[in-house]
Parts: sequence; C-alpha cells; structure tokens
Amino acid sequence: MKLTIIDWKNGLKSSAKILKENNEMLSELDSVTGDGDHGVTIHKIAEVIETAVEKWENDILLKNFFDDLGWKIMGVSGGSAGPLWGTIFTGLADGLEDEQEVDKDILKKIFSSSMDALKGISNAKVGDKTMMDAFIPAVEEIKNSNKNMQEMLKDAAKVAKEGAENTVNFIAKFGRAKNLKEKSLGHKDPGAVSISLFFEGFVKGIEKNS
Amino acid sequence: MKMKKFINSPKNLTQELLEGLALSNGDTIELTENNLIVNKKLKDADRVTIVTLGGTGHEPAISGFVGDGMVDISVPGDICAAPGPQRCIEAIKMADKGKGVLFVVLNHAGDMLTGNLTMKAVQKEGMNVIKVVTQEDISNAPRERGEDRRGLVGCVPLYKIAGGAAAEGKSLEEVAQIAQKFSDNMATLAVAARGATHPATGNMISTLDEDEMEVGMGQHGEGGGGRMKMKTADETAVIMMDALLNDLNVKTGEKLMVMINGSGATTLMEQLIVYRKCHKYLEEKGIEVVASVVDEILTVQEAAGFQICIARMDDELLRYWNAPCKTPYFIR
Repeated sequence: MKLTIIDWKNGLKSSAKILKENNEMLSELDSVTGDGDHGVTIHKIAEVIETAVEKWENDILLKNFFDDLGWKIMGVSGGSAGPLWGTIFTGLADGLEDEQEVDKDILKKIFSSSMDALKGISNAKVGDKTMMDAFIPAVEEIKNSNKNMQEMLKDAAKVAKEGAENTVNFIAKFGRAKNLKEKSLGHKDPGAVSISLFFEGFVKGIEKNS
Repeated sequence: MKMKKFINSPKNLTQELLEGLALSNGDTIELTENNLIVNKKLKDADRVTIVTLGGTGHEPAISGFVGDGMVDISVPGDICAAPGPQRCIEAIKMADKGKGVLFVVLNHAGDMLTGNLTMKAVQKEGMNVIKVVTQEDISNAPRERGEDRRGLVGCVPLYKIAGGAAAEGKSLEEVAQIAQKFSDNMATLAVAARGATHPATGNMISTLDEDEMEVGMGQHGEGGGGRMKMKTADETAVIMMDALLNDLNVKTGEKLMVMINGSGATTLMEQLIVYRKCHKYLEEKGIEVVASVVDEILTVQEAAGFQICIARMDDELLRYWNAPCKTPYFIR
C-alpha cells in the first residue's frame, strides 16, 4: 500500500472532523490545567486543514502542500498549539522531495523529520504532560514497525491514545499548566489528547478508502 | 451561567476590539489588514524600532502602548493566545528602518514558540533583530531560573525605556543592552482575589473561594501557590513588597520604580490604597521611589487583583523612562 494524495485527503479530512467534534471536550480538559480554549484553537486548526484539503489540486506537490499547510496553521492565533501543529506539518515537508505517494520508508522518514522539527522548537519530553506524550510514541511506533502501512498507522494511533491517557500520571512541566505543579496530576493533557485524535481520525479516513 | 458582557459575537472579539482601539486613536496608531497595530509615525522613523507580540484580552496591553516613544508595532493574537510567526515576521520587516529591530517577547509558552520561530526566519534572511525576553514574575521560580519565570506587566516599562533609548539614536546593540539591564533589574508579583473568565467561552479560567486570595497568580489566573485568607490592602502590600525586595536584593539607599497594575476588576481606589502603603513602606526602609504608576496596564477579563512591579533605577534608565511618548494609554 502507498498513501496517495487521495488517501492523504481522506485521512486529513477525517482528522479534522474528529478534532472539530471533540473541540468542547478539549476546552473542558484545558479549563482544568490551562485557560480553557484548547478546543477553540483546535477547531480553528481543523478548519485550516479542511480548507487546505479542499483547495488541494493534484498537481501540487505533497511537500509544498504540507509546507503551506504548516505555515497556515502557524498563523492560527492560539498560543502554543499553532506553532506546534504548524511545525508538525512543515516538518513532514522537510522529509519529502517530489514524491506524490508515500510508502512505508517515506512515512518513517517524514515522521522522523517532523519530530526533529518539533524537537527543534520545544524541549518537552515524554512525561512532561504535553502533546509530546502522544506524538513521540506514535512516531517511534511508525519508525520501528515492520507491519504494513495501515497496521503501522493503526498502532501509532493506539500508542498515541495510550500516551494521552498516561498524562493523568504526570506533573505538567510546560505551558500554563506547569504552574499547577502536583495539582496537574489526575488530569489528561488536552494537547496530547488532540494529537491522539488526529492519528485516530487519520486512520479512520484512510480505512474508508481502502 | 451566561456571560453578562457587552460583546457581539465571541468569534469577532479580537477584530472588533482592535478596530475600536484604532478608531479611537486614529492620530496615533493604525490597524493594518493583517491586524497589526502600527505607530503612525513609523514611516518617518530613522532609528531602532520596537516590535512585540501577545494575546489580546489584556487591554490596554499590549497594543495600547504602540506609538512614538514606545512600541512601533504590536502583533496581537487572539484572546489570551499568542499570534503565529508569519505576522511577527511581517511586522519586523515593516518595522525595520535600516537600524534594526528590538523584538520583545514575554515568557509564556506560546509567545516564546512564536518568538523563536520568528527569530529563526528573520535571521535566515539576514535581518538585524535582537530578541529580549521579559521574565520577571518572582512567584514560580528562583531568579537563577529566569526561563521558568513568566513575563507580567514589566514588559510595559521596558517598552518605554527601550523606546526612550531608541529615540536618542542608540544602536540596536545598545538599545537591547539597556532593555536587558532593565529586565534583569525588575521583579513583579501578582495577587488575585477573583479569577478571570474567558470571553470567548464564558468559562472561569480559575476559581478562588470567596474569602481567599492568591499571591503569585499569573496573568491568566494560572496558579502560583500562595493561597491565603483575604488580607487588608496594607497587609497585602507588605507581604508582596517583602517578597519583591528580597528577590531583587534591594538595599537602603537604592532607587526604585514602583508600578501597581490593576487586573481589571479591582478599583483605582483599592490600587491607590495599596500604592500608598508600598510607598511609605519603602520610605521607612530608606528606599527612594523615583518613578511610579498606578493604573490598569495589563489586565485580564473580570479578574480582581493587581500586580506590583518594582525595578532598580539609575539616572540613565530614569531619563529614558521620562522621555516623551505618545501612545493610546501612556503619554509623556
């Protein structure tokens, strides 16, 4: 299997949908540890993704699409989520040249470059109660998997979800939540949850097509 | 509970407040198409210019301090949220008059991410930009861990001082050095009696019991530790001033700036009563107050409380502080 532009479109559309559907839940999670608007920002990011997918002509290179999308997301005014989510996509573009289809090896490469880009702007590690708690294990899963691409992505979504669930056990080290110190225990990090929803939505989107 | 607020649609809050600010100060500032607030005299500026960024909902900060002698361009984000890097890059390009740009960033996660991405991009293009970070909140980390300290109201006097230095024709390196010196010599502490609400969602950002206050509250109501029973103005002033003087290691004979910044729902009467005690308390300790402000500078929706910002001053800093400026909410 290769991920064609049609797959990317379906995957991203489905991710955007699930993120929008969960925006209120994300804001509620954020109101415990932050200022309660993560869902508002994620809703905006999802709309940017949807619009970009709709306008995606097939002759636009995947690399350019991801790069444009990343910069558009960075333009969403929403605190940390805009720059971080934007960097995920510009980071995916970093690993591409002129490929229009993504096979297993390229998928590993682009998620590695995406994680590198993210690590270039954030020092958050697994256990710091941030989006990295979902993103890093998902990317590690992709990088280390020998399964077919669909299984690989499914596993990535699964570990992202586990990573997000695990954040209840962590004390926040970044963002506004870190000021709560041990009071942040027992609550899920909204950033990790939105990343896990992204993977979950993407897997659903490409399954429909295959 | 439904919000009781004079707004139209939560979606248009930022746009409408920026339009209101620009329309009510048409002689001083303008609002560009990409929502930058720009000093109207920027086009004639032959000096170092100053760009800053930050969320809205904190009025008059930050855009209310754009104008000659303070900030040249502010890049406002949405309510309590950092803007993205593109508009900061555009702002820096627009601001640069050939003498370089001072880029002031408050230490909050989103602002810093945007600030770092912006710096990467402008440096790649070979532009002459120096970033100064304000991180003067003493409540959540010791002084040596400045990177863990939040930027509170201290950014505003820093804009004023950097603006004064830029107006004197100092080089970018000099302006940045002066701004950094001021930054290193200031300290802020906040107290809250009631948390803020988020004007887009209507939810409380944080809650405090009726008879409680919290010393060390951050700008958005994120906690800082020191919850205690409500105290009088004088008691609160002394608790906070002791912590600030201790943090900055202020000695008898030194000169200070003292700023009381109301959070939005605490009256000017209360702020003045607090200031009175701060001033007298410093006098008793033989510390001279050479500059002072009591006002709403950096607020947050419905929050009751205030910040006290002190800064160690010398003749040079005081000269920049007293230099002329004309912005919507600060005029000298």
